[in-house]
Amino acid sequence: MLKKVALLLTGIAVVFSIAACSEKLEAGKSCPLLCPEQAITLVDTTIDAAVSDTTIAGLPPIGAEGYLMLASHGDTVETRAIIRYDTLPQSYTKSGVDSTIANIDSAYLITPIVKPDSLRRPKAPVTIEAYDVDTTATDTVAAILAPLFRPDRLIGSKTFAPESLLDTLRIPVSTDSVLDRVKNGTKLRVGLRIVSTQGVDLRVGSTTLGLGVTLHITASKDTAAAPVNVAPVSNTPTDQPFLSGPLSDYTIVLNGTTRTPAILLGVGGVPSRRSFIRFNVPSRIVDSTTIVRASLLLTQFPNRRVSPRDSFYVFPAAILSQGTITNVTNALNFLGPDGQFGLDSLLLAPGDSGLKSFEIVGLVRTWKGQTVQTSPRTLGLRSGVEGSLPGEINFFSTRAAVGLRPRLRITYVPQQNYGIP
Amino acid sequence: MTHLHRAWSAASRGRTLASFATVLVALAAHVAGGQSNLSSQGFGYPPGQFSSRALGTGAAIGELDPLSPINPATIAVMGARTVYFQAQPEYRTVTGPEGTERTTTARYPVVFGAIPIGSSWMISLGSSTLLDRTAATTVTTTVPISNTESELTTTSSKVDGAINDVRIAAAWAPTSWLRAGVGAHAIAGHNRVTLEQTFQDSTQFASFTQQRLLGYGGAAVSGGVELVSKNFNASLSGRWGGNLHLSVEDTTISSARVPDRFGVSVAYTGIASSTIAVRTSYDSWSALNGLGSPGMSAVNSWDSSIGGDFAGPRFGNQIVFLRTGFRMRTLPFQAAGQNVDEKSVSAGVGTQFAANHVLADLAVIRAVRNADIGASERAWTISIGISVRP
Repeated sequence: MLKKVALLLTGIAVVFSIAACSEKLEAGKSCPLLCPEQAITLVDTTIDAAVSDTTIAGLPPIGAEGYLMLASHGDTVETRAIIRYDTLPQSYTKSGVDSTIANIDSAYLITPIVKPDSLRRPKAPVTIEAYDVDTTATDTVAAILAPLFRPDRLIGSKTFAPESLLDTLRIPVSTDSVLDRVKNGTKLRVGLRIVSTQGVDLRVGSTTLGLGVTLHITASKDTAAAPVNVAPVSNTPTDQPFLSGPLSDYTIVLNGTTRTPAILLGVGGVPSRRSFIRFNVPSRIVDSTTIVRASLLLTQFPNRRVSPRDSFYVFPAAILSQGTITNVTNALNFLGPDGQFGLDSLLLAPGDSGLKSFEIVGLVRTWKGQTVQTSPRTLGLRSGVEGSLPGEINFFSTRAAVGLRPRLRITYVPQQNYGIP
Repeated sequence: MTHLHRAWSAASRGRTLASFATVLVALAAHVAGGQSNLSSQGFGYPPGQFSSRALGTGAAIGELDPLSPINPATIAVMGARTVYFQAQPEYRTVTGPEGTERTTTARYPVVFGAIPIGSSWMISLGSSTLLDRTAATTVTTTVPISNTESELTTTSSKVDGAINDVRIAAAWAPTSWLRAGVGAHAIAGHNRVTLEQTFQDSTQFASFTQQRLLGYGGAAVSGGVELVSKNFNASLSGRWGGNLHLSVEDTTISSARVPDRFGVSVAYTGIASSTIAVRTSYDSWSALNGLGSPGMSAVNSWDSSIGGDFAGPRFGNQIVFLRTGFRMRTLPFQAAGQNVDEKSVSAGVGTQFAANHVLADLAVIRAVRNADIGASERAWTISIGISVRP
C-alpha cells in the first residue's frame, strides 16, 4: 500500500513538473549579436545554361485545341472551325414515347464562346457562317476543306453585334440539310467561318474541354416533344477512337501559316507552336546547393504580324518525360499542367520587347540529385491561348547574338556547415 | 550523514521500478535550451549536472551530494535502490540593443538509478545534461543578393538536443569515514538543426528548409573520494576527458576532447541535520574549441559557490529542509568574443513523503548573466527533483 501511495505521489509530481515546462523558445531580437552562426549567404549567378532550343509548330496537334480558333484577318490569318456530327439520332421523344423524326421545325448550333474582353471585342458586327463541309476526301487538310466554304454549301448564318458576343451563340442551320442527313442516316460535318469588316478573333468551345458546339434539333412544334441535342462525334478514322475522338472538332488554317526563324523561339501563332529549351546547369549548383531562385531570362522580339497588342499568358512548363524521349515533338506533347512545380506565367503581348523573366525555381529544384536521364534539364514554353488565338510571341534563341540568348539566373545558398556553432 | 541518507535509512527495500526508470531515461533525452541569449552560446548551456537539492544550496554541496552525478564516491551513501528524476524549467529575459525578450526553456537535466551491491558497494547508471542547446530564433533582415539587389528574408533556426553525460559509477564505503568511487562516462547526444528561410517576394524566391542531425560521441572517466568526520566533510572529484567527435550521419566533422573537470567541496556538519558548504570546481571547456567552427570560443572557467542545507520546521514526523546559496561562474562559451559571467542566488526546500519512500526537493534560482557586449540576461529557474526508493 505504501509503495502504491509513493508511486502515485511521484507520478503526480512528475506530471505537474512536465506540465509546468511548456516551452516558449522563439527569440531573435538579440540576433545577429548573439546568433553568429545564423547568417545565410546567398550567391547570385547568371549563366548561359541553355545549350539547345527549338520551336515546334503544330502543337497542340489538330483536334487537341482547348478552344477552336475562328479568326479572320484578311490575308494575314484565316481559320475555320470544323465540327463533326457523324452520328445523328433518327428519333425524338414526345410524352415519353419515341417517335421517328419526319420533320424538323428548327435546328441550331449552340455555340459556346469565350466572351471577348474589352480589348479583343470586335469593332464591327460579325457574321458566323455555317457550311456543309462533308466530303469523301481527307477533310483535315485545309486545301481540301477551303473550297467547300462556298455559297452553295452555306447552311446557316447569323450576324451578331459586338456587345451580343457573350457566352453562347445560337446559329440557325438549314432544317432541310439536317433532315436529309437524319433521314438518310448520314453524317453532318459543319464548317464555321467568321466574317467581319475588320480583323476579328473568336474562341469557340471544343470537345477537348467538354464545351463542344451542340446541334439542337426541334423535331416537332408540339411543346411535349423534347428537343434533340447532338454532341460532336467523329467516326473517322474508323476503328481508331484515339485518333477519331479528338477530331470531333478542330481548327484548320486557310492562310497565314508562318514559320519561326531559327534565331527565335515562338509560342502561340498560327499554327500553334511550342518551344523547347534544354539546359546544362553545373552539378555543383544543382546538386550541392539549395537553390532559392531560378529565373529564365528571355529577350522578347516584337511580333507585330497579327494582334500585336492582344496580350496572353506564356507558361513555362515541365516536360514530364524521361531522357529516353529524344524526339522534341514527342517531348513537347508531355508538358506538365500550368502552374506545376510553382512555375509562374507571364502576361505578354506579341508586340512587346525586352528582357522577360520566368521564375522556374520549382522545376530546377526537381533536378537535384537526379540524372539527366531520369529528370532531363528541359523546359517547354507554351501559350495560354494556343490553338485558339493567332498571336505569336517570340524570344531570341540560342542562335541569336550572345547578349540576346536565353540565360539562367540562379540564386542559391552554398553548401555550408550550418548548425555547427 | 546527509539528510537523504537519514530519510531513507528506515525505508524498506522493494522492487526496482524498472518501467518507471525507463520513462525517466526517455524524458532525460528531451532537453531544451535557448538561443539569441547569452547563456546558450556555442554548444549550449551547462546546467551543471546538479540535483535540485544541490542547486538549492548554490551547488555548494555538489561534491558530496549523491543525487548530483559528478562525484561517484557519493552514491555510496544511498544504501538502497533509488531512482531519481529532475525537471528544471527556466524563465529567461534577455535584454539587448533591440529590446527585451522572454523565453521559457524546459529541461530535464538529471535522471538516474542506483542499486546496492553487497553491504558496502553501490552502482548507478544515469544521464545528465552536459550542454543544453535547444534553440529557436526567427530573424527578419535584408539579405544582399548581388551588388544591386537585396531581398527581405525571414530566417528561422531551431536546434533540438543536447550533449549528455551518461555515467555508470561504482562506489565503495570501506569505513565510516571514507567513500571512494569511479565512473565511466559516455558523452553522447545530438542536435537536430532545422533552418528555414522565407522570402518576402514569393513570386521569384522559393523558401527552403534544411535539416541536419549533428551527433556527438566521446568518453571520459571520473573518480572521487569523500572524507567524513564528525563535524566536517571533504569531497573531491575529477573527470578526465577522452576524445569527443562531432559527426553528421556517418561522417566525422570534427574532433576535440571532453573537458576535464576537478571540484572540491568542504562542508561543516556540526549542526544537527544541517550542512554548510563551500565548493569550487574548474572546467577545461577550452578542450571543445576544436569541435566547433573557428569562430567559436570556449574558455576554461571556475565555478564557485557557498551555501547551506538546514533542518527547518517539522511537519509531523518529517523535517523540512531549508536551503540557500550563492554561486558564481563563467559560462563555457563566449558571446561576441566576450566571456559570459553568471551569478546566482538560490533557495530551496526538501522533505520526504510516503514513509520516506519519496524525497522531493525544490529549488528556485535567480541568475544574472552578463557579458561586456551590451546585452544581459536574467533568469528564474525552478528545479524539482523527485527521488523514489521503492
